[in-house]
This record gives sequence, C-alpha cells and structure tokens, in this order.
Amino acid sequence: MKFISIAVKDFKELIRDRRGLFFILLFPIFFMMIFGFAFGGMGQENTPHNIAVVNYDQGAVLPTGGEYNFGNNLTNGLKDFTYTNSNVKLFNVTETSESQADSLLKQRTVDAELIIPNNFSVSMISLIVNSTGLQTNSVNNTISAPIIRGDEGYSNFFASESALSGVMTEYQDGIVNGYKNQIAGTPGAEPIKFINTTVQGISGTQSFTQFDFLAPGMIVFAILLLATTIAAILTREADSGTLERLKMSKMRSFDLLFGGLIPWSLVAGAQVVILLGVAVILGLHWQGGINSVILAIIIGIIGGIASISLAMIIASFAKNDRQAANLGTLIVVPTSFLVGAFFQLPQVFISVLGHSFQVYELLPWTHTLSALRAVLIYGEGLNAVAYQIELSAILTAILFIIGVVLFSKTRLRAES
Amino acid sequence: MDYMIEAIDLTKKFDDLTAVDKLNIKIKKGEVFGFLGPNGAGKTTSIRMMVGLLHSTSGKIFINGIEIDKIEKGTIGICPQELMLWDNLTCKESLNLMADMYEVPKQIKIQRVQKLLEDLFLVEKSNTVVSKLSGGMKRRLNLALSVIHEPEVVVLDEPSEGLDPQSRRVLWNYIKAMRDEQGRTVILTTHLMDEADHLSDRIAIIDHGKLIRLDTPENLKNEIGEGDVVDMKLSESSKNLEVIKELETHKEIIAVVEANGRIHIRALNAVGKLPLMMQVIEKCNVEIADLSVRQNTLEDVFIDLTGTGLRE
Repeated sequence: MKFISIAVKDFKELIRDRRGLFFILLFPIFFMMIFGFAFGGMGQENTPHNIAVVNYDQGAVLPTGGEYNFGNNLTNGLKDFTYTNSNVKLFNVTETSESQADSLLKQRTVDAELIIPNNFSVSMISLIVNSTGLQTNSVNNTISAPIIRGDEGYSNFFASESALSGVMTEYQDGIVNGYKNQIAGTPGAEPIKFINTTVQGISGTQSFTQFDFLAPGMIVFAILLLATTIAAILTREADSGTLERLKMSKMRSFDLLFGGLIPWSLVAGAQVVILLGVAVILGLHWQGGINSVILAIIIGIIGGIASISLAMIIASFAKNDRQAANLGTLIVVPTSFLVGAFFQLPQVFISVLGHSFQVYELLPWTHTLSALRAVLIYGEGLNAVAYQIELSAILTAILFIIGVVLFSKTRLRAES
Repeated sequence: MDYMIEAIDLTKKFDDLTAVDKLNIKIKKGEVFGFLGPNGAGKTTSIRMMVGLLHSTSGKIFINGIEIDKIEKGTIGICPQELMLWDNLTCKESLNLMADMYEVPKQIKIQRVQKLLEDLFLVEKSNTVVSKLSGGMKRRLNLALSVIHEPEVVVLDEPSEGLDPQSRRVLWNYIKAMRDEQGRTVILTTHLMDEADHLSDRIAIIDHGKLIRLDTPENLKNEIGEGDVVDMKLSESSKNLEVIKELETHKEIIAVVEANGRIHIRALNAVGKLPLMMQVIEKCNVEIADLSVRQNTLEDVFIDLTGTGLRE
C-alpha cells in the first residue's frame, strides 16, 4: 500500500507548509468576502427585468357580463409595473411566440419567459367568483398554470423569476380586491389561489441576490485554484530531485498519483465546507440541511480531482514550480470564467452526432458548479443533481487519465 | 572474476555533443570504484545511465549479468550530488517513506532506520524536519535515504561536497563499512582526490566522455604524473653537482635539480628507487645529512592525464 505512504507524506507536507496552506484556504475566503460585500444586495437593484410574454389566453365571460382577456390585462400590467417609490419600470416586456421566446432566452436577450395558458381568464373568473360570491354560469372551478421559464444557470433569471412570482400573486389579489370594492358590502371570502404559477428550473428561494449566484462560483474558483498549487508542488517534487528518488524505488505511477489524490481531495472537500460557512455568514440564502453539505462535499471532491488532473497536465509541461504556478494561473483563471464561476458567458452551442450542447459543458467544473448551485441554493437532492455529478465524474475521469499518462510519460520514465 | 557492473560501448549523445563515447568499464563485486573526471567529462551522465535514469544512445549495461532495463528495482541505490530531500518531513519520516517505497518489511524497517540514524549520527535529529538540519546532516540523510533498502550497488555522486572534515570522516567510515562489512559495490565520483585515493580500490579517470585510465590508486601514482620528489641534503654540498650528473645518467630518474644547496630528485615510485639513489651517493663517497620524500599524489596523476585547462 505504497499510495498510503505517499498520501501521508503529502498530507504532512501540506499541513507543515503554512504559507501554501494559507494561500489555498484563505485566498478564496478573501475573494468570497469581496464578492459577498459587493454583490450581497444586488438582487434588489432598480433595473428593469427583460422578460418575454407568451400569451395563449383565450379570454372568458366576466360575471358582470362581457368578454374579457385577463392574459392581455396581465401583460399590460407587467408593462406598467414600477419599482416601489420609483418611476423605473419593473419589466421590459417583449410579447412573442413561445418558440421565439425560447430562442430569446437562449440568446440571453431576455432573462425569463412568462407563458400565460389559454385558460388563464377562466381561472381568474373562478377566482373572482369564489372570492366575491358573484354568480356565473360560464365557468366551473378552473385552475390554470402559467409558467415562468428560464435558464437556472443564469443569475438574472433568479431576480426576474422572483419579481414575476411576486407580481403574479399581487395581480390575483389586486383583481379580487377590485371586484370586492365594486360590490361593496359583500363579505368576500379569502381569495383562493386559482392560478398556480409554475417556475420551471426553480425550486428554492424567493429572494435571490447576485451573491447567491456567485457563492458556488467562488467555491468552484477555489477548487480550480488547487490546480495551480498542486502543479507547483508536483513540479517542485521533480525539481528538487525527490521525484527521481521515488522513481528509483519500487513506487509505481499509480502510487504517486493516487496517493497525492487523497489529501488534495480532502482539501477540496474542506474548501467547500469553509467557503460555504463564510458565504452563509455573508448572507448566502443557503437551502437544505446537513445532507446538502455532505452532497456538496462529494461534488467538491469530484471537482477537486478534476483540478488535480489539470495540475498533472500543467506539471507535465512546466520546467519549475514558478513556471507551473504561472502556467496554472494562466489556465485556471480563464477556465473559471468559462465555467461561469463569476458570470455566465454567452452561450456557444456545438453539435456532435445530432446532440447539441454548450462548449463549456466539456469542462467538468461546469457541472460541479451547476450541481453545487442546485444543492446549496435551490436545496435540491441527489436525484436532481445525479446527472450533473455523473457528467462531472466522467469528464474528471477522462481528464485524470490524460493527466496520469502525460505526467508518467514526461516525469516518471527514464530520460531520453 | 565476478563483475557487478559491466558497461559495453556505452555512448550518450545530446544533439551534436557526445557526452559519453564508447565507455567500457567493468566494476568488481564488493569494490569501491572511484570515478574521476573534470567537470563536464561525462561522469554524471555515465552514472545516470548505469543506474537506469537515463537511456543510452547506444551500448549496453549489465548489472550482475542482467541488462539494466531488466534488473529488479532496488538493486541500485543512488546518493545524488544534489540534496534530494523533503524539506517538510523529519529524518525518520523520510527514511520510513523510502523504506515503504522499497517494500522493506515493517520490523526490519524499524531496526534499519534506527541503525542508519545511529551510524550516520542523526539520532538526535530523528524528529527534526529536514529544513532545520545543517548542511552536513542533510548530506548524511541524503546518503541514508539511498541505502535504506540495502542495495547491492551504491552510487555516491560527490557525497562529500561541502562537508566539514568531521562529517567527511563519518561518511568515509560509512563507505568503508559498506564495502568491508556489508560487501556492497560502491561507485564513488568525487572531485576530492584525497577522498578517491583514500577510499577507492580502483579508479577510472574519464575525460571528454572517454575512459583515459583505469587502475588502482597506487599504480596510477607510481606510473603517471611528474613523480615523487626526493629532497635530500648531502653532508658535503660540494659533491652536489657530481651526484646530480651521476643520477641524470639513469633513465628511471625524471629530473634532478639543485636548489638552496639541496638536491631535488623527481621519479615515479621514488621510494622503490631509493636503493638506486643510495648506490649513486655511495659511489660519490658522500653521505646523506637529511632526506624527505613528497609522494606523487592522485591530483598530480589527474592533472597529468586531463590537463590544467578549465572545462566549465
């Protein structure tokens, strides 16, 4: 079990290298704090949300007589809503078809899409009838299901969805109260919700901030930064000659690389816990309990292994530890942007064998980030993120094999 | 004759540079083999090929009759000239790690680590991290790590570099013990000629990647160089010229000069030629008042073979 001896050695070296440990653990915390203070309240900023409205509503006959289309009414309302105590519009509304709206969503021209169903007016009349005591023959109790659709990997969607959900509730209450006022003296029942707005891709909080979106990104950034540190350590091992000493022994490549994997994976897991703790202190709307932390640690460890694999690739080409650190930074920082740790880049789709996917999805940390967001911010369980974890694990395994092959070829064989 | 290492036409080329050029060497089992050469002569390149860390361009290397690529790992232990140590591990942790890497059984490992710490005077620093050791201690640990698995062949690449005389004595005693008590084959490269002379059974001198000479230190000193210098004072200095003339007729005498009333005679293996000198002096009817011999050193041999030009 030589890999255990290597793991113990690496662990001891890690904890005794105070400066390195400081960099690994405190540098990301510093970043998290900067972002926490900078973006903690960004969700409440007074800028209009860009939304697309798809109105399928076919209208209905009002209890008081006459045809009315509540879908159109809601759409116009959305156009007119302003922020409280402000003349800034709450939404920039684009009325369009569903396919066009989906396209705009993919292009990020709009932040969210509201789909008003064809029975929206009927459900509104059901609401009015049941809440006010008015009588009509035209409708039975009907429930409609408007949909708020969006990209859950896009920060602007959180804020838009939150605002839309709030407005939908307000609209229902406003309509009911309006009718109650019209038939003054009639003791109306409590409004019953006849409109169940479905938010697709959202299962969590109502009050997202930009920081909620960024915090998991910071964790992934920290995990990615590990690649720089590990690459420098691996190169130092070669540079100082200790790797040559190990090469002369009965140690196999597997022992060195798998042994190194253990302490560094633990560091990745520890980073998740520490950074999550800091983020919660800074105001992260963390969903889920201890299970979500355990799941996040597992996701973080897979991401950590991907970083270790990247470190092996970097260490295969760097001549010394300084070069490894520089090369690592050169790779890790752009990768952090590509995986969307700080903000989402424009979507770039590629098509392989008829399957269309984003280029960023080829990076395992993209899935680490999506899974961490789903678990920590939306409180999703294992089932919901299993696909992301699987993808992350597969891509990590591929990266690990590439790393092992390159490192073994360049560093662990006799020189030519 | 049993040879532990056999290099046949060993050649290494780096682009246009031929670092090692058809080197043929046979190293006997249980001997300390000195490997000398100026900087850049090809010593380290040869050694790296002999221990399997560097592929040769051509030629073959056999370790105990087995080709280098096929030998069991752990047959050779190398103590490199650079310190190859883990700064954040203690002496004991470093030794335990390398013992694990060579699959030394646990009980044997405990005893062996303790013995090495004792033999190399590191017991008091067993639990001190390497970064806090002195240069001499690091050198000794560097050696200990190379022999923790008790290899059949130990390669010591300039092991005394930067050591004080005390540490050097410890190291020399340990090298001698490896040969005399443990029966190991030791290859020693060094720039310290007294070290090579003191420790080596045989010495190979290489330059420009080629073997120039291979022999015992005694034979090298007796056969190569400007020779020993016999410094004598005669009872009657007026006879100096007569004695000098007589000595110059003998081809075994390289040179004879007079300086400050004394006679300086240069000859290889001068001690062996003292009877001849005595005969000449007796023939001239004079007596020796004072005599001393400065022996030809290995450094004289080395300079004679490799020249005085700088190589770096």
